Amino acid sequence: MTARNEPIGPRPLRAVPNDGYADWEAVYQDNATWVYRTLFARVGNQADAEDLTAEVFLAALRPLRLTASVAEVRAYLRATARTVLAAHWRETLGREITSIEDIEQPPESEEAISTAPQRVAQVLDRLPDNYRRILEVRFLEGNSIKESAAELGISVANAKVLQHRALRLAAQVNDGVQP
Amino acid sequence: MNARGLRKYIDDLLRGRRPKQFQPDDFEAAQIRTAIELRAARPGGDAPRQEFLNDLHARLAEQMTGTPPEAVSRLNTTRRQVIVGTSAAAAAAVTAVSVDRLVVGGQAADAPAASGQLTPNDGRWMRVAASSEVADGVMHPFDLGSINGFVRRVNGKPEAVSGVCTHQGCRLWFDATDDRLQCPCHSTSFAPSGQVLTHQLPIAPKPLPKLMVREVDGAIEVFAPTSPIAPA
Repeated sequence: MTARNEPIGPRPLRAVPNDGYADWEAVYQDNATWVYRTLFARVGNQADAEDLTAEVFLAALRPLRLTASVAEVRAYLRATARTVLAAHWRETLGREITSIEDIEQPPESEEAISTAPQRVAQVLDRLPDNYRRILEVRFLEGNSIKESAAELGISVANAKVLQHRALRLAAQVNDGVQP
Repeated sequence: MNARGLRKYIDDLLRGRRPKQFQPDDFEAAQIRTAIELRAARPGGDAPRQEFLNDLHARLAEQMTGTPPEAVSRLNTTRRQVIVGTSAAAAAAVTAVSVDRLVVGGQAADAPAASGQLTPNDGRWMRVAASSEVADGVMHPFDLGSINGFVRRVNGKPEAVSGVCTHQGCRLWFDATDDRLQCPCHSTSFAPSGQVLTHQLPIAPKPLPKLMVREVDGAIEVFAPTSPIAPA
């Protein structure tokens, strides 16, 4: 028979091919926002979230192989973010305050980025009214202590004490609802 | 206990400043965690600044291509930027190795465009019919366990196609009156050569893979994967 009909050696095994990124810029454009949001949810401030996001991409892009699928690239970015966040806590507070967990959901999904809104809602639900209010106006609405005191109709000194106690109780409740 | 360190940390968080280092105890750590979650729960409060994204893009371009960004970056060098080259890069390199292992081989460009010819990695020639059983115009079915299909003669030479629908894997049957292979599931039909004739799907399924076939010593043989179903 013709050569066409003789078996040839097996092709190399590879992951699903049509699903990768064209270049590093595509990787960055597609993933920067969820990486930032994932980190912001775990540091709570813009300055640290920006530094850590920069660190993730500066460290991750160079060794990245573009033959990897989108899902593999994202898993790799999340793993890099986990390492970067752990190092951040080691350096700043000497202990791990928050972490990026291993989860089944894709890294760019809301459940993977942050469970803070649901957890906070659960915690606030279990607090006395005035505790809940002070945390809402201060942390969620972002009012100053003065504005918050006015909002609640109390003195600034009382608002400070209330915030202090509310956060302590919220932390105890929050530890109780840790998964 | 470090009441002052904690108070300062929470205050910085609330003012959107970079919090300072201190050594919290367990309960203080729990309060920081809760404060972070409260800040992170602000609706829409976690969107990155466009300016930041652009700056980082420029820094990455410099790293990846060696070209300095068009304008001198106004970013001041923070402690963090200095350590980038060490800890995180090393950690990322370790991660990259494990990701790398998933991805063997080169570019995606050589992926088969169509179904093409079925070429098992490991197989052997197996008899599917006596030469006399496959006359011109006959569509002869066979089933080797690992694969099944139909063999026929074209200008005297044997040709074979897979007998499995390329849509969802239902087994095809040969409709002699219409001279086509029919799928019992979704009315897809294929010509004896494997081309799609009809379908009712949003996107046409692929043509049937051709099988490697030869005629030796009065028998027609197909190169089929060896499998536990049909041991060598």
